[in-house]
Amino acid sequence: MPYQLDNRPPDLRESMYFPEIIRGIGKVAKHFFRNLLFSRDRNPDVLERPRGLGLSDNVTLQYPEERAPYPPGYRGLHRLVPREDGRPRCVACYMCATACPAQCIYIEAGEYPDDPIEKYPVKFVIDELRCVVCGFCVEACPKDAIRMDSGEHAPPSYTRAAQIWDEKRLLRGPPVSYQYDPWLRRGSAHVPPEKLEEMRARARPFPENATDEASQTPGFSVRVLAAEAKLRAEGS
Amino acid sequence: MTRFLGMMVMLVVLAGALLGFSLLAYWVAAALGTGFSAWFGSGSPDRVLMYYGVSVANVVMLMLVAMMVAGSLLTVAERKWSALLQNRIGANRIKVLGSSLGGIPFLVADALKMLTKERVEPSGKTRVLYELGPILSFAPVFALFAVVPIGPPVAIQAIFPSAANQGAAFQVPLQVASVDAGLIYVFALASLQVYGTSLAGWSSNNKLALLGGVRASSQMISYEVSLGLALVGAMLTFRTLRLEQMVGVQSLPVFGAVPAWGILLQPIGFLIFFASAFAETKRAPFDLPEGESEIVGYFIEYSGMKFGLMFLAEFVEIVILSSIVTAVFLGGWHPFVSPEWLRTVVSPLWFGAICAAAFLAKTVVLMWLQITIRWLLPRFRYDQIQKLCWKLLLPAAIVNVFVTAAILLASSDGNPTVSAAELRPIAWFGVATLVVISIVTAAVGGRPHPAGSHAPAAGH
Repeated sequence: MPYQLDNRPPDLRESMYFPEIIRGIGKVAKHFFRNLLFSRDRNPDVLERPRGLGLSDNVTLQYPEERAPYPPGYRGLHRLVPREDGRPRCVACYMCATACPAQCIYIEAGEYPDDPIEKYPVKFVIDELRCVVCGFCVEACPKDAIRMDSGEHAPPSYTRAAQIWDEKRLLRGPPVSYQYDPWLRRGSAHVPPEKLEEMRARARPFPENATDEASQTPGFSVRVLAAEAKLRAEGS
Repeated sequence: MTRFLGMMVMLVVLAGALLGFSLLAYWVAAALGTGFSAWFGSGSPDRVLMYYGVSVANVVMLMLVAMMVAGSLLTVAERKWSALLQNRIGANRIKVLGSSLGGIPFLVADALKMLTKERVEPSGKTRVLYELGPILSFAPVFALFAVVPIGPPVAIQAIFPSAANQGAAFQVPLQVASVDAGLIYVFALASLQVYGTSLAGWSSNNKLALLGGVRASSQMISYEVSLGLALVGAMLTFRTLRLEQMVGVQSLPVFGAVPAWGILLQPIGFLIFFASAFAETKRAPFDLPEGESEIVGYFIEYSGMKFGLMFLAEFVEIVILSSIVTAVFLGGWHPFVSPEWLRTVVSPLWFGAICAAAFLAKTVVLMWLQITIRWLLPRFRYDQIQKLCWKLLLPAAIVNVFVTAAILLASSDGNPTVSAAELRPIAWFGVATLVVISIVTAAVGGRPHPAGSHAPAAGH
């Protein structure tokens, strides 16, 4: 509450009502004419909308068409982080499935035929209906292989089966590489050598502390998405 | 900026539509007048038959078209205008060819919904009164519009030059009935309306509806008193009960070119009448009979189009109230510029149409004002509503009547017709009142001081 009102009986002028009503009409008429005469800013980041003379005061988002961006720490839909070569970073260690309080993660481990010292998830299934969106799986993962940085909800569906996400749907988004990644140091049978050099050059050091930058995949920022949405809205 | 230009275009289109409607109304009235005389008469022009024809045309054009269309458009306008007041967009999800058309398609959707809804009725109702409720709350409101003069009388020759030889000097007014009782007729029908609401509340066999009906009757009967007394000052000033004559007096120039509008002569009367009439429409801040958050209202047991009729009656009441305030206090069809000058510039038909359009424009502004007030103020408590009526509005109305009468007595020249010189003292008094009201509004009071700030606290 911006200020406290003292609880006193109304004075004569206030109990006449009319002067206060006339002032109130003035106040709301200002809003009326500004909203009537000037067009609405479509920036989905409502707080970023400019205000002032000659601008509408309207703060509405036309929801299905325009969506507000979520804040950077938002825990959205899971994704399995891919490597540069398209395979999942996941090594099927079961840490996330163990940490999950809702027990919504199911993993079946397997081995690559071309790289038998490495495990990978043959099946990686998340039941989004059971998920409580706590983010423990992301924190438990030693390989930064599961993230909740997609900035979206689980999309609505008409069947329960559609809410069970397997590895084909979960594996998406921009790839991530770290310098300590074994497949980068060791090389991989199915990656050509020049491509491997390129991947090594792009790999980042693993962060000591979880920072905002590290929790957010470059090029996958919700702010960037919001800016793109704004550009699209202005273009149309 | 495109929206700004678009709104300017819309304003011009609205003004054009009002003007076009006025022209059409005059033309239809004249056509039916000559038509009645030709079809039912014995060949020679018959003034009585012409009068019937004009009245029928006015009932159709003014009451069925203008008032009902305005009333139903207001249901949409309330949503959109309240949205604009509250920084929202408002109803816009029905799209016709990709455009929401300002929410107007919702009118069709609402009508369809009302008409096709299931009829749910309480088993313990009092059949006859239950059916009578919506009729009694709608019909008096509907009939109120009959005495409102939309436009000045125009000679029939000006509309149909070929009619010059038959209807000698017949004047076509844009008013359904010129009743001698005038404002008394307004009071009589306005007070009839309380039967609709209280009977609806009583016959529904529902305690909440009964509460609503009782609240409605007590509120409307108390505000009836100040409603009447507020207009007594205007009746004294204009020395007539007929609304069209009141409009005539209001075009007298009182200060130079400034016309003697009722709001200039009777500002206190205007405020009291507006507030009391607001209570008569049963809308916020006086919506105790409805009070959707406490009791759902006297129409809680009505469904479908029966409820729709009561709902529509509220909006039609807004139209009526705006038009009566326009006629009595805002100069009626006075066209903003000097009527004498305008008469010399344009033809009589165009003069009438411009005047009628001016009347409609003023009515639209007042309708906007009423919806603004409805969305501005919270509901009064029951004791506050009665206190406001009996302790503020009623004494002020009585004082206004006495002061007006005293000033008029002093300035009267003994001539039965009203002259501009006679109105000048009361106009000065009215201007002084307006100045005092604006000073009280602008100078005293302000936003409350934030707690803990260094603003001087009262009482130290």
